Amino acid sequence: MAARRGRRLLWHGRRWFSQTESAVPPQPPDSLYPPIVASATAKSKAAKRRRLEHFYQRVHEAGSIEEKLRLYGQLQRPKYMLYPQTFALNADRWYRSFTKTVFVPGLPPRAASAAVKAPGAAAPEAAKTPEGAAGVAPEAAEAAAPGTAAPGAVKTAELAAGAAPYLDMDELRSLACDALLQESFYQNKKRPFLYRDQDHTPGPFLTQLVSTLAAFLCGRNPLLAASSLDLKPEVNYYWHHGEEVVVHGHRKGRVDPVRFQIDDNPHLQIRVPKQLPEIVPLESDLGDVPVIDHKPSKLPLFKKQYENKVFIGSKVADPCCYGHTQFHLIPDKLKRQRFVRMNLEDQIEVLYRANGIASLFAWTAAQAMYQG
Amino acid sequence: LFQGVRQAQWLTKTKLVEGLPPSVLGIVDNPAHQLEDHEEGVKRAISHARLWDTTEVAPRREHYCPVLFEDLMHLCRLMSMKYPSLTKRMLARNYKISATWERETILLQVRGLNGILMNSVAPIPPVASKEEILATEQHVLETFYPISPTIDLQEVKVYKELNDTGKSRSFRDGYPYSHPHTLFFLESANIRPNRFRPEQLRAKMLMFAFGNALAKAKVLYGNDPKVLEQPVVVQSVGTDGQLFQFMVFQLNTTDLVSSDGIKNLVWIDSDQNLYEKAQCVPEVKKKVVTKPAGIYGFQPDTFKKFLALYLHGTV
Repeated sequence: MAARRGRRLLWHGRRWFSQTESAVPPQPPDSLYPPIVASATAKSKAAKRRRLEHFYQRVHEAGSIEEKLRLYGQLQRPKYMLYPQTFALNADRWYRSFTKTVFVPGLPPRAASAAVKAPGAAAPEAAKTPEGAAGVAPEAAEAAAPGTAAPGAVKTAELAAGAAPYLDMDELRSLACDALLQESFYQNKKRPFLYRDQDHTPGPFLTQLVSTLAAFLCGRNPLLAASSLDLKPEVNYYWHHGEEVVVHGHRKGRVDPVRFQIDDNPHLQIRVPKQLPEIVPLESDLGDVPVIDHKPSKLPLFKKQYENKVFIGSKVADPCCYGHTQFHLIPDKLKRQRFVRMNLEDQIEVLYRANGIASLFAWTAAQAMYQG
Repeated sequence: LFQGVRQAQWLTKTKLVEGLPPSVLGIVDNPAHQLEDHEEGVKRAISHARLWDTTEVAPRREHYCPVLFEDLMHLCRLMSMKYPSLTKRMLARNYKISATWERETILLQVRGLNGILMNSVAPIPPVASKEEILATEQHVLETFYPISPTIDLQEVKVYKELNDTGKSRSFRDGYPYSHPHTLFFLESANIRPNRFRPEQLRAKMLMFAFGNALAKAKVLYGNDPKVLEQPVVVQSVGTDGQLFQFMVFQLNTTDLVSSDGIKNLVWIDSDQNLYEKAQCVPEVKKKVVTKPAGIYGFQPDTFKKFLALYLHGTV
């Protein structure tokens, strides 16, 4: 009875044929029938699920990472463009909900490995204003440093177990002061072009500072010795989060994931070949991700359709594929005085937080995608 | 400059020596500096600049030339692990220079934005010995009669004879990194006619190195033309992303009006290729990959010379 029914169905519909072909190679010996699964081309939720699975399978089986990334970003649809440096009000709450990030105020606790080191290993937390050594890029949001003041310097424990060599703060201070003086005082430059103040002094100062500090500290941190410094790199990331119904157009009424893209240009970026250790374990609960019921376009956020790029600053073949630090310069039109004049003092910090969340999320997520 | 280096030589009263001076070559050959370990790093730097740094398939020269320069400088700076006095160097970008001198009744001036300068706290010790300097007296500067030596130079009415290089005016007094060490020239225009040809690039390097050295000498020894007991040495590196020109210039005299007497010296090592070809996309003929993507013809010596010039003066 069952045999006759199966054969008749085989004659009547070509759809069944296509399924037998796909199921033929791994044919379990105890079942004579092809697996009965939903159709792949019907206008139904099951078919949509099946198409999604087929897509995932295609991506997983792709030969190289570039191929996977190409398939991932192949379909172009209108997406929200996220700008890390934005003047939107309460942007950091929105960004936290888009990127599923929890905000923990203050610097991250010392890495767990440091606690195990010998007591001689010192990890001073200096907060001197001219200091700005390379810090760990945390998963939780960290305010990005503006051009002239750096919030703190955390020396993570990359030192060998045992006595730590003395960190010459005076030397660091003099290097930082020299860089600052050269850019602002000693070198005679023309007057800055209109609205290009950032390129004139803080930009070159930051570049000088970071390069000299990296060179000075590379003896203590072997990662820095193998690092790669990028000037004005490009960082892009594309992801889906949540669902919405398509409002108008020929695809009206369908349920689509909400697409986001970040295109960021940090001032400076250090990439290293090894991953930085995680600060808190994966499953720890540090707080809640805010849930916002409104559409992202209320932020305001605008949609555009263009190429879906995933890029960390260099292509997949680069051995320095993990990130160490990013340095951002806050542009002039987002400076403090403007916010203070408009009575929006609390938004100043929101700006820094949103910048950090968006840029670092894009960078770390793109690095993760580069791993396969 | 029309005649290239020859014309620049006449204008700056310089004698040319092929190849790099023995002190720099000594650093290159010295195995104690372990210049070989950096081969891997240099290859990575070239690949990064030429292949990996952009979302497009192949980066343009405007993009990869400065990136390559930055990467090589980063590699050189990491050497300060071994030589702590290397941290006493500072790069100055967008740096302006102007220097004036007279040359057989023709007033010449070097001015303008000229690339990136690296300054150091300590000067480079003189490269040539006293005998070599005295021997330049016999050397006769070649002239190219009937072509005037000022051909292809822009004639400008000079109202103020300025002699500030980075030192006194472009950099204020009391600047700790007061000695010009090396000048870097990046020819990074995309279109070939916009770039300097190697010969002209060498001439430009010579002129600007001379300008820097002259201004420094005038600051140290005053404006009177005379022979310097302690010659001023300035180095210069020019590149277009693939070809490197290395130059060491030693200013022996500021007496430039006459064509006799002691001359200045310059050592030039020209047309050093860092790599032959950077293949961005694998070359495929008839569906078979004949040339996979990568860097071909890598020559480690060029980077060794670059590093030696960087370390010169502190090692």
